[in-house]
Amino acid sequence: MELQQANSFTFEQLTDAYNETRIDYLVPMPMNVARLMEYCRVYDVSLEHSCIAVEDEIMLGLGMLGIRHQRGWITRLGVLPAGRRKGTGSALMEGLIDAAHRESLQAMWLEVIKGNEPAHNLFRKYGFEETRELIVARRAPKAEFNKAIFDQIRRITTLNHEDAIILLSHRQERPNWLNETESLQNVRNLSALLVELKNGGRGWVTYHAGLLQLTRLIVEVTVGDPTEVTEAILTVLHQRHKRQDSIAENLCEDEKWLGFQKAGYFDSFRRIEMTRPL
Amino acid sequence: MARYGRCRSTCSPTISLNEYDMKTILQIEDNRANRLLVERVLEPHNYRLLHAADGETGVALALDEKPDLILVDMGLPDVDGQTVVTLLKQIPDMESIPIVAITAWPPDKALEMARQYGCDGCITKPIDVKTFADQVAAYFYNDA
Repeated sequence: MELQQANSFTFEQLTDAYNETRIDYLVPMPMNVARLMEYCRVYDVSLEHSCIAVEDEIMLGLGMLGIRHQRGWITRLGVLPAGRRKGTGSALMEGLIDAAHRESLQAMWLEVIKGNEPAHNLFRKYGFEETRELIVARRAPKAEFNKAIFDQIRRITTLNHEDAIILLSHRQERPNWLNETESLQNVRNLSALLVELKNGGRGWVTYHAGLLQLTRLIVEVTVGDPTEVTEAILTVLHQRHKRQDSIAENLCEDEKWLGFQKAGYFDSFRRIEMTRPL
Repeated sequence: MARYGRCRSTCSPTISLNEYDMKTILQIEDNRANRLLVERVLEPHNYRLLHAADGETGVALALDEKPDLILVDMGLPDVDGQTVVTLLKQIPDMESIPIVAITAWPPDKALEMARQYGCDGCITKPIDVKTFADQVAAYFYNDA
């Protein structure tokens, strides 16, 4: 088995290989070429530093490496059925860690889907330690919301992409790689709403409104009860975007999460964030 | 195997062409092996089977063909199955067509997802080849 740089393969080949790795996964999440290209662009994935495991000209597995400043992020790591029980996962991990050392990175991060024990154990074996559990939540458009909340709202301000980025850069909570300002700067046409309640509560949401989906949702409560303000912000958002399906990725299980649930979100699956110093 | 939606007695008679005419089933599924398995199980039951490998093609086929039943994989390469269901359920011509989620998610999550998104049922993967045809047929009963 040898490791090759991912940039020596086409996106079509990488997409096919990635989808093959996910066939029997807990949460399969296949991608098409456009989605994988977008993923690499938004999350600063370096194909030059990403690895493909190959044996006899057959792809056995792949692992990608995002790089920001002196941090690395392992993502899309998977082993094709043909590469299982051959040490492919370990070979990929060693290749990615070597690539991180070559770039003098200081730390590596990743997320593993909760319940994917083989992957979780592999990451532990290479020195990764759990930092927190993150929730991937969804909301169907038909979910109900509490209309009485509108009586509590003093003011709603609509903001544009540039304003959204400014808000994001002032967050108090440490974001995950997916939700970092660097990721969201790479997303075009973010929107934001600033919501003030009559009781002084205040907060904002940034999001990307696609034709079918609201994605990239980030909520921050600056004043007031986190659950109450989050519910109010999201109720305003979904009253304005009644037809879209919504996804909020990598939420922490905190008081804001209760607000998400009150606004109709449910826990879809969970990720475990892990890190290791280099 | 988790499922919800319309139930059919395990001793119900075999479906005949005369009883149901030829029903059209649209399967939206990106994985070739899964698609072929469903086709192999359903073909003897005289259904007209349509296939789409992604969400966009699936929605277009649904609009063009007005199938009698739609089987949607929740994990599609272009848009999520949930989003496909969301869209189809908002189109007046489509709202009466049963949509069944076919998913590898853990049963409890699969059921919740299907319920939240207004699916008419949910069948978890891997499908049971012995019961799958009956599970599908149950969605054609008007009195269920």
